[in-house]
Amino acid sequence: MFDALTSFVTEQFAALHGHVFETGVLPVLHELGLGGYAEQAFDGTEFFLIGAIEVTMLAVVFGLLEKWYPAEVQSDDGAKRVDVIYTMLHRLGFIPLLMFLLLAPVVDKLDGALRMHDIIPWKLEDALPFLNDSPWLSFFFYLVILDFVAYWLHRAQHQINLWWALHSLHHSQRQMSFWSDDRNHLLDDFVMDGAFALVALLIGVAPAQFVTIVIATRVIESLSHANLKVSFGRIGEYLLVSPRFHRFHHGIGVGHEGVTRGVNFAVLFPIWDVLFRTANFENNYPPTGIRDQLDGKEYGRGFWAQQWLGLQRLVHVFLP
Amino acid sequence: MNFRLLKSIVILGLAAAFNLHSMSSHAEVVVVLNSGEGTVSLIDKTTMVETKRFPVGKEPHHLMATPDDRFLIVANATSNELVFLDPLTGEVKRRVDKISDPYQIGFSPDKKWFVSVSLRLDRIDIYNGADFSLIKRLLAPKAPSHVGFNGDSSLAFITLQDSNELAAFDLNTQSLKWKMPVGKMPAGVWLTPDDKYALIGMTGEDYVQVIDWRTQKTVKKITTGKGAHNFLPMGDGNRLLVSNRVSNTVNIIDQSTLAVIDTIDVPGGPDCMELTKDGKQLWVTSRWIKKVTIVDMVTKKIVKQIPVGKSPHGIYFASHAARK
Repeated sequence: MFDALTSFVTEQFAALHGHVFETGVLPVLHELGLGGYAEQAFDGTEFFLIGAIEVTMLAVVFGLLEKWYPAEVQSDDGAKRVDVIYTMLHRLGFIPLLMFLLLAPVVDKLDGALRMHDIIPWKLEDALPFLNDSPWLSFFFYLVILDFVAYWLHRAQHQINLWWALHSLHHSQRQMSFWSDDRNHLLDDFVMDGAFALVALLIGVAPAQFVTIVIATRVIESLSHANLKVSFGRIGEYLLVSPRFHRFHHGIGVGHEGVTRGVNFAVLFPIWDVLFRTANFENNYPPTGIRDQLDGKEYGRGFWAQQWLGLQRLVHVFLP
Repeated sequence: MNFRLLKSIVILGLAAAFNLHSMSSHAEVVVVLNSGEGTVSLIDKTTMVETKRFPVGKEPHHLMATPDDRFLIVANATSNELVFLDPLTGEVKRRVDKISDPYQIGFSPDKKWFVSVSLRLDRIDIYNGADFSLIKRLLAPKAPSHVGFNGDSSLAFITLQDSNELAAFDLNTQSLKWKMPVGKMPAGVWLTPDDKYALIGMTGEDYVQVIDWRTQKTVKKITTGKGAHNFLPMGDGNRLLVSNRVSNTVNIIDQSTLAVIDTIDVPGGPDCMELTKDGKQLWVTSRWIKKVTIVDMVTKKIVKQIPVGKSPHGIYFASHAARK
């Protein structure tokens, strides 16, 4: 029954994907002389369609949940609107495409140069050959490694002043909701994606595998940002980042602004915060934002204002 | 102990084992590479049903038999390895690692050289055809795509997809011999049986470019369909199939007249092909719809479409038409 349903959904999606690509994308690529990118465009079309379905489902399911179990009463819909734009730009693939176009040639050049010195980058399967036979296990191993890297990169975003100048944009949302996950400065995205691309090269993550990991994890990341008074219970809180766990990280004065510059950095698995003593499991749902916003510091309301102010903060770190 | 029961179980077991053995020795398998999900689909050629799908490595695009036909080589581009399968059962027999980004692969006709083309990294590798030891790695910008060889195995012809060129590499000196401009996005390479012309599928155009490779002159453009991509000979030493990924057709080209003699509709981005020995059935990977399409070559109608994995690319079965 379940197999039949899965197979039906997969086939329907494949038909939709094929139809959109063949009638809408491929002819345009061919006319523009960009047929060489057909395979990347095919994957991009899938990314777009999955994103569109995902955003619709998030809006319905998480939207209703936020109405029923809110962590805080939110009145300023205007403040959330810009987060919707960030979500669309990311999840429908526009910003990932931009990052791919900027980063892929650099990574390929580096990889190609290594090959000319007879260096073929290592991959996880070299050390653990059994991963060749189990895509699920392989997916899980790569997920854990990338989440571990994400934990340390996230700590760096808070501890390196230059990087915080950009990442603070993400924390400046005082009406945090499931739309807020992708609210990032473009340069912040570029640095993060560049770091992940290097790690992927070092451990041999295939591009298709990387995209699957991104798609699979971003629903959890949307949930962790949701305005929900929800924790995963005594054991669950140690297993997966919950709305409570991550809201505490965003909490003004408590989450990301402590003496050691914060707690609860994990993106998916809180175990990293437990291991490196940055976890806080206090059952508390503080208001979100950055302390200096209380003194009137402006982080911008619209997309371009936020991007511009982020660049200004970056310059001020160099030239205080 | 109930010996009668035990005896019955043993007899039934032996019968079942014999039955399985006889089934496996009769049921021919079709091997399909699902490049987008890193798996191999095995299809029962008689029943036309996918019987198994298993992980093989990262980005398996192309496959070919070893010169002795004992193994089927799957090139896993991102895994940097070759996987050797039993061509009759699809079972994994061994892996050869340290093969850099093998996107397209080919043995020279004299079996001396094994050439691996790295589309993503602008490289071609020339290996010893006997033991896969690397002889030379060469720069081949931009986006080397497919490979073909001349009759005496002295040259490997490589299409350069992004710079719109055809390159000829001298295999004996392992160096670039010449390059010439061709149409947009050249892909498949095929040498005519008289070794006179190189036929190039122009995926960015709607034709096959015919090149006199000795003089490096274009002698003809055979109009096919949009997205002319890959070739497969029909085994009679004359007719040649070409898949057109954008127009969703397959053409039959007469190599003696260098003209299209028939057109078959094959939906879903037809890419790699395999033809039965009797020439009656054509199996095609339909890249964009996760299916393998089977065409009756007598009626030119679709017999069946079989769902497989994401982005099916290479396809093979043992009882195929001769590669001529």
